[in-house]
Amino acid sequence: MCWRCTGFDRRALLVGGGVAAASLTTGAALARIRPADMQPLVGPGFRPTDTDEIGLWQQMQRVEEEVSGSNLLIKDPALIRYLQDIIGTVGGPATKDMRIYLAHIPDFNAVMFPSGFAVVFSGLLLRMRNEAQLAGVIAHESGHFLRRHMIRSWRDTKRKGDIFAIGSMALGVAGGAADVYMGDIQQLAELGTILSLFRYSREMEAEADAMGARLLAQNGYPAIEMANTWEQLIGEEDASARHRRKRRDRGGSLFATHPAPGARMADLKVSAAEVTVPGRTYDSRRASYLQAIAPIRTMLLDDQVKLNDPGASQYLIETLARDGWNGFLRYYEAEVWRLRNRQGDDVRAAQGYAVAVQYPDAPPDAWRWHGLSLIKAGRQAEGRAALSRYLALQPNAPDAPFIRQMIS
Amino acid sequence: MRLRCIALALVLAVPATGCVQTRQYADLQFTPPQGDYRLLVMRPDVTVNSVTTGGMNQPRADWTEQARTNLIAALAAQQAERGGKVKILAHRNELPGVSEEEVADLERLLAAVGNSIALHKYLGAYLPSKNRRGLDYTLGEDAVALGRKSGYDYALFMYAEDSIVSGGRVALQVLGMAGCIVGFCAPNIGGGGQFAYASLVDLKTGDVVWFNVVQAGSQIAGIKMGDLRTPQGSAQLVERLLGRMKPGYAIRHPNVRR
Repeated sequence: MCWRCTGFDRRALLVGGGVAAASLTTGAALARIRPADMQPLVGPGFRPTDTDEIGLWQQMQRVEEEVSGSNLLIKDPALIRYLQDIIGTVGGPATKDMRIYLAHIPDFNAVMFPSGFAVVFSGLLLRMRNEAQLAGVIAHESGHFLRRHMIRSWRDTKRKGDIFAIGSMALGVAGGAADVYMGDIQQLAELGTILSLFRYSREMEAEADAMGARLLAQNGYPAIEMANTWEQLIGEEDASARHRRKRRDRGGSLFATHPAPGARMADLKVSAAEVTVPGRTYDSRRASYLQAIAPIRTMLLDDQVKLNDPGASQYLIETLARDGWNGFLRYYEAEVWRLRNRQGDDVRAAQGYAVAVQYPDAPPDAWRWHGLSLIKAGRQAEGRAALSRYLALQPNAPDAPFIRQMIS
Repeated sequence: MRLRCIALALVLAVPATGCVQTRQYADLQFTPPQGDYRLLVMRPDVTVNSVTTGGMNQPRADWTEQARTNLIAALAAQQAERGGKVKILAHRNELPGVSEEEVADLERLLAAVGNSIALHKYLGAYLPSKNRRGLDYTLGEDAVALGRKSGYDYALFMYAEDSIVSGGRVALQVLGMAGCIVGFCAPNIGGGGQFAYASLVDLKTGDVVWFNVVQAGSQIAGIKMGDLRTPQGSAQLVERLLGRMKPGYAIRHPNVRR
């Protein structure tokens, strides 16, 4: 074979060939994986027996030691017990073996490590509307452990790396012997190898989604909530992008490690229908969820509005308010505008605080900002009254002496 | 054309076949601990990998355990020779009166300071403000507190990593060298080797008084410059890393004003 003698432009051939090879073998679209096919690959009390997996677990021991001692963790014992109970419910055969940690990171994410410990980001707890949604994410992460994804993808990478190394060396030597330049094929093979690694990663994610839906339904949660989680995330990213006059990254690239959110949502809807048994009752357990996160909900909202991502914050607050507005949500809605601080935002925020204080559960800070906004607008008497209310609710606030001086 | 290729391969290969580099920095006033000193060795961070045919590092639990045991034995023997009293921690909770969290915090702090030292002393991002000032870094109060509570004079932090090239990769290397005969030369695909660093902290002042990095390896897969899995290999690394501790500049050149 000789590329040069046929007269093709090598670069065009490389690009065209790469795209063709990529879309044939490593295309972004992925067939849906059926929950029924997802049998757990580990049993209770699983311990690795293969050399490579033992090595991986030994490294993870040190990682877990670091994670469990990190000062980023939220250590509220009741909340951690609640999370541990959920992983103990949707963890399949490994329910007793998995550990869960809650990290104070205001972002939508959760991670499962190869040796069976998961880290949930606090931003996830803000976004979930009920226990079923949270259990869905945790079930997805459990799915990674139950299907042994880390060691499987490590072996996949190793195998493909070996094949690629041997292949390119053999190709080079053969090309050298025949005096033909093989660099282009070698590059094409490299691209193909890399793309196939990404495809494998997306396949694992799709497996975890299917496994998660199955675990969720088995334990009496409505599996459709997993699809709803994605709908909320897509909505949030759209809103955030719109606010910045950008477009949401739709995913679906050949280089993506996860399938596109839209595709995941669509697949999860079908999977949810598959795993739902007619006649059985499913409970999303919203009340117990709200009760569990109550002690940190203020902190979660506070973290979010301080990210200065008004589009996402506004969307999140409105999503949470679908289950009913309250003083907290109204207060933080106003905070979004105050912190954005563009022309007219102060007026918008002032209106928000005024609405927030109408609710009996308005936080003390709502009264504080309501009072300050009124004074700024020249309504001194009303402002003072609101600030007195703030002091009555929070007599030991850090700024109490200043406020007292203001209204005296 | 083909001859040139082989010559080029040799030029590339020869200096790379036997490469052991160390580079140490010390506080200007540093004198290596001698005689009756008490040294606390923080849990050594050791990893031994197997390098796959494709060049990935695969951690090996059994080799890592072997290397850790050997390194600790070699360290104890080497320090005993210098006359110091040594305690080597295997876990974070082995110091009476010092909590696990305090040890963990100090390890993390050292990791952060160590990154700065690596960046500004070894990787080329030299700081003009630190010019000609030797090793000018400190762990501060936390290290002093550890010294006060534990009664030790120095703390030694150590990291060691060894990568052992697998049979498959050696075969690939042989093929790459054989290819030179037909004009396709891949004489040094690399992959194996050792990397280690150690830092010594004076627990009276909290300062990092001495820092050393060892790199030992060759670009030819299969040629080893040491093996942490054997007692001899571990002793060799400890000797390379800690054997020739040089005093600080001001001690070596007492009459030079800087």
